Amino acid sequence: MKTSLLVEFGDAASLARALRTLRPRSELTLDAYTPYSSEEVREALALPPSRLPRVVFGAACIGAAAAYALEWYTTAYLYPVNVGGRPLHMPLAFVPITFEMGVLAASVTALVGALALGKLVKLWDPVFEIAGFEAASVDRFWLRVDAAGALDSAALEAELEPAKPIRYLVLEDEG
Amino acid sequence: MTQASSSELIVGEQTDAGLSERLLGTTYRAWAKPWRLAFAVTGAGTLGLLFCVAYTIDRGIGVWGNDIPVAWAFGIINFVWWIGIGHAGTFISAILYIFEQRWRASINRFAEAMTLFAVAQAALFPLLHLGRPWFAYWLFPYPATMQVWPQIKSALPWDAAAISTYGSVSLMFWYLGLIPDLGALRDTAPGRIRRRVYGLLALGWRGSERAVHHYRSAYLLLAGLATPLVLSVHSVVSTDFAMALTPGWHSTIFPPYFVAGAIFSGFAMVLTLIIPVRALFRMESVITLRHIENCAKLVLTTGLMVSYGYIIEYFLAWYSGSDFELEQFFVARPSGPGSALFYLMLAGNVVAPQLLWSARIRRNLVALFLLSLLINAGMWAERFVIIVLSLQREFMVSKWESYTPTWVDLGILGGTLCFFSFLFLLFLRFVPFVSASEVKELRHELADAHDHGTGA
Repeated sequence: MKTSLLVEFGDAASLARALRTLRPRSELTLDAYTPYSSEEVREALALPPSRLPRVVFGAACIGAAAAYALEWYTTAYLYPVNVGGRPLHMPLAFVPITFEMGVLAASVTALVGALALGKLVKLWDPVFEIAGFEAASVDRFWLRVDAAGALDSAALEAELEPAKPIRYLVLEDEG
Repeated sequence: MTQASSSELIVGEQTDAGLSERLLGTTYRAWAKPWRLAFAVTGAGTLGLLFCVAYTIDRGIGVWGNDIPVAWAFGIINFVWWIGIGHAGTFISAILYIFEQRWRASINRFAEAMTLFAVAQAALFPLLHLGRPWFAYWLFPYPATMQVWPQIKSALPWDAAAISTYGSVSLMFWYLGLIPDLGALRDTAPGRIRRRVYGLLALGWRGSERAVHHYRSAYLLLAGLATPLVLSVHSVVSTDFAMALTPGWHSTIFPPYFVAGAIFSGFAMVLTLIIPVRALFRMESVITLRHIENCAKLVLTTGLMVSYGYIIEYFLAWYSGSDFELEQFFVARPSGPGSALFYLMLAGNVVAPQLLWSARIRRNLVALFLLSLLINAGMWAERFVIIVLSLQREFMVSKWESYTPTWVDLGILGGTLCFFSFLFLLFLRFVPFVSASEVKELRHELADAHDHGTGA
């Protein structure tokens, strides 16, 4: 059984303060649920840069290369048509489609990658069971603390008191 | 940047909860009467479109007015016009995002939806113009048993690649931006069915910062990818013309001139749509005069680029010394058949935007609305002039003909206007058309900047 502590705040500044308090504790995994992206919260959580751009760059290269290869394969190799003596392999004319397919591959990867890395596309999550958690998409800010081992919620609550939270909640996940 | 109250991005004291209720509530508050009326009218027009399309498919494109030498007429005019309109949506959502223009926050989703629906209308025309639209998949290099593949050296397969990529990327960008608001609707919309449907569409969004982290990265990447894409799309469209030798088409100014014209007509369409919608849904507090004025300024800027394009076209025709170019630009356009549209083009695209130098006109909603309609018509006329007037007067005098559209041509054009509006009305009802999460973020940034005395 995994235990998480959820703490509700009324504004982004309090949440950021709580995050800064717990940030040095490396045994804790921190997350925040916010109704809109706040720079303060992002800075306080200080996540490492997303891996997504590198993945997307790779996808763009593969998409563009595959498109160019296909253009060459069909027009210059499989079905060579001589139109007025123009070269069969014509790099300049192959550029637009190469570019478009590179963009397409990169965009699909960006969308799918963001969903996959963000662990999205799920029908249900334990936090949906919390009464009042709906406000996290309106005007409430939640802190989530997960620990590798047992979570001493009483001690954490005492530590977070200066950030003036609205309430604490312990979430128990069977999975 | 803090100026007089009329230049604010968000008017009045707003709370997060109030903004959520106001912006998400458009999907569940009672339907306004003008909305229903417009829905009925455009729904009927959409049926008219279906009829004309079915008639075209049944009888063949002989029911259209195009014939040799004007083999490309309404089918391409409308295609280029609709695609162009879409460009402003991507400009607002991607290019202004990269340049950190905060005013885009409350109109970007609206403009992106305009893009999607405009691209949908545009896609219809080349499909129908194929004559046998059920073979449209021949445009793509599928593993054909006949072993015939698209001619990659022609601009037309480039078009197929550019338009399908543009449509797909616009849809993904729009949907990605929508996810946080769909999550909010899952949490706050009244009624079980609404919550279920929006919940499914929200893909399990929880607003978790660990997901937002990758989400923001993806959003920025898509904006960065959409920026060169949008510039490439109309450039590719323009090569359909520029690569041909027809007098009036064969010009290197075409790609930038087409892109400027596209953004110009798109911003005019943004104004045409946003002025009534803002009044109908009482969105004056988040879509302020500042937004409208900024759109008007962009219309003026891109309008000047279009005028520059016209000047260069004429200069090059004169400078080339080619009899055919001179005939096209100095005889056929000002005095040939269909020259009324040439003057409509000048009135809408060169003269009308000059009124926007005046701040009073930029703030006068009625004047702006009428002006935007004139510009839309002017841009349609521009495509008519480029396509029809050029083809009517090609090299051989014996080939000269004049073109007249049939009722099916006009029916399909009118039908796509209705279908576009119909889709847009559905979007206004079922999707929060002003991004609640982005407007709330903007409100906080403005408030923070105000607290720290740096100005917003």
